[in-house]
Amino acid sequence: MSRSEKLVIAVAGKGGTGKTTIAALILRALIDAGVKSILVVDADPDSNLPDVLGVKVEKTVGDVTNELKRAIDKGELPPTLSKKDLLEYKVFKVLKELPTFDLLVMGRTEGEGCYCMVNDVLTEVVDTLSKNYAITLMDMEAGLEHLSRRTDRDVDYLIIVTDPSKMGFQTASRIKKLAGEVHIQFKRIFLVGNKFFPQQEELLYKYAEEIGVEPLGVVPYDENVFRYNLEGTSLLSLPSDSPALMAVREMVKKMGLI
Amino acid sequence: MSFEGFPVEVSPIYEGQRIRKEDMYVEFGGPSVDRKFELVLAASMEEVEDGAVKIIGPDLTELKEGGSYPLGILIRVAGAKVEKDLEPVIERRIHMYTNYVEGMMHLNQRYDIWIRISKKSFKKGLTSLKWWGLALIRLFKAEMPFIEKMEVNFITDPEKVKEWYQKALQIYEARDARARTIRDEDVDMFYGCVLCQSFAPQHVCVISPNRVSLCGAMNWFDARAAASVDPKGPNFPIPKGKCLDPIKGEYEGVNEVVAKRSMGAVKRVFLYSMFQYPHTSCGCFECIAFYIPEVDGVGFVHRGFRGPTVNGLPFSTMAAQTGGGIQTEGFLGVGIEYFRSPKFFQADGGWARVVWMPSELKERVKDAIPPELYDKIATEKDAKTIDELKKFLMEKGHPLGIKLKEMEAAVAPPPEKPVEAVPAVPTAVPSVAGIEVTGIPVSAVPTAGGGMKIILKGAKITVKKLIVKKVEASKKVEKK
Repeated sequence: MSRSEKLVIAVAGKGGTGKTTIAALILRALIDAGVKSILVVDADPDSNLPDVLGVKVEKTVGDVTNELKRAIDKGELPPTLSKKDLLEYKVFKVLKELPTFDLLVMGRTEGEGCYCMVNDVLTEVVDTLSKNYAITLMDMEAGLEHLSRRTDRDVDYLIIVTDPSKMGFQTASRIKKLAGEVHIQFKRIFLVGNKFFPQQEELLYKYAEEIGVEPLGVVPYDENVFRYNLEGTSLLSLPSDSPALMAVREMVKKMGLI
Repeated sequence: MSFEGFPVEVSPIYEGQRIRKEDMYVEFGGPSVDRKFELVLAASMEEVEDGAVKIIGPDLTELKEGGSYPLGILIRVAGAKVEKDLEPVIERRIHMYTNYVEGMMHLNQRYDIWIRISKKSFKKGLTSLKWWGLALIRLFKAEMPFIEKMEVNFITDPEKVKEWYQKALQIYEARDARARTIRDEDVDMFYGCVLCQSFAPQHVCVISPNRVSLCGAMNWFDARAAASVDPKGPNFPIPKGKCLDPIKGEYEGVNEVVAKRSMGAVKRVFLYSMFQYPHTSCGCFECIAFYIPEVDGVGFVHRGFRGPTVNGLPFSTMAAQTGGGIQTEGFLGVGIEYFRSPKFFQADGGWARVVWMPSELKERVKDAIPPELYDKIATEKDAKTIDELKKFLMEKGHPLGIKLKEMEAAVAPPPEKPVEAVPAVPTAVPSVAGIEVTGIPVSAVPTAGGGMKIILKGAKITVKKLIVKKVEASKKVEKK
């Protein structure tokens, strides 16, 4: 149970840069390499990671948090019942347990009122859970909302995804800055280019140097990814020689994950 | 502690372990099993077979790998100091100690438990529930020496689980009923919460059995548990000390701790009143209690109510002046569960002082409202303005409405007599609880009398330009 061999990896980037696709491809590369215990956390309420992975999710962490909040409001909970234990149970219940990985979808906590207490508890619950996996892979939204709320204290690697656009780069730069402000010691921060033409690769390296992150390379346009996404087929069933997957596999090797 | 001879390790380092579905040998309870429970019962010395682990039904080797099964954990304890009240305290530890066993996951408590045993530990020799039971007995006796005798029964026979499940539910219910009757007088320790100090730096929430946190998320039991798990965390014990005023709820210990934790900003706190030294409010409160001087009553509004309240102000406006960790007389943030407290604003008259609340909130706390007052408390459907509220209270015979009527009768001159001298307007109106409250029903009183005191509460006055002129000088100028 030594903590050192466990890694938490967050993937972030502007919406539309293909960050969710990259996260799915990283997962696929890890599974192919035989990594046994992987927790995937969908921490972006706007993402559709479960669809991309072909997993049907009925309930999210946000849903059960709201349930708990409502039960508290209505005075339905027995006075001596531990809310932390209950939330822990409910979170484990919404965890999707699949043969090759587990998936936790954060969703949204809707509604008004004070979430100080439930968020505080949630942080602890998710932390405890993630410590049980060799690799925790998180799909984050650009605002790093969950990071600033410290829903994950131990992020080791941050992978920023960008497309060749000013907005993409700007967002990447902002995420890098934000990463410094949320008081998390990232061991390494990487930059991945997506939707780049091969001749634009130089741009990525130049930009990575400018904002002070490690470039991982670019993911080429891939007919298969395009078709699978169009048909709604899981990216986990891509042919193993798909160009995008091959590129991501190289990156995963470069990061020393496999 | 030695666990020699055990097939697996037993140690706190395994706390927080989760067993993945792929890695589990079997699971007990959880969402796919209808009946599961854990129960600790205090028994007499003769009733407990010390050190025994009994398995009633199939043991691990007789269960199909990968399956989900019902389970009842029934533990009997005995000892000179073992009391009924300790049952839940001991029961709570099953979760913690089970997680110490290598390759065992235990979630939650009571009738919603979920236990998994890993394939790895099964292969290592954890092939009988006996080991789990033995580990529990050893840990309990070491950590809670007052337990002199202990036996553990694992019920896996579905019919027997069913039988005991019903009994267990009744016992939990009885315990809850007892917990709900605990009063502030019954305990020596209150608890504080400063989770919200990032928003309201001087705010200290005082949580007692009869006073839930303002956000409603922390009751006395929660705070007690949190403080014992993490003494340096946001929850801490407050020795309540000498009771200075049992009606207003002033305690020496509370004053001391609040003064310290608020950096001296707040020195006195009344736990059951919104006047003089009310509890501070963070920003997270579920409801706002607001004083309505015109009827000498109290209105409530909850966070979800969008429109203006009876005093014309919406939740958001009042929240701004209620929150921030300062004491604001006549404005107080409260948690919804506080409506169910026996000490609910007891210094201010309790429910008899409540005149208005949104219909949604009224419905939510219906069970707590004294039946004789239920129809006399106005909602937004009955009164949108203070005038409508007054009318409503008088019509319905609300205690404060009756007072208003009496006052109007006393103040208003008989119609046939000419108005000669208006009686002096009272400047203080005794409230239901006998507390003097400034702020009189202004508009109900003819304005001819002198010596009136108007208190504006919740009003914001904007002055764009203020010109001060000497009257004499300006007259002179005009003359020229």
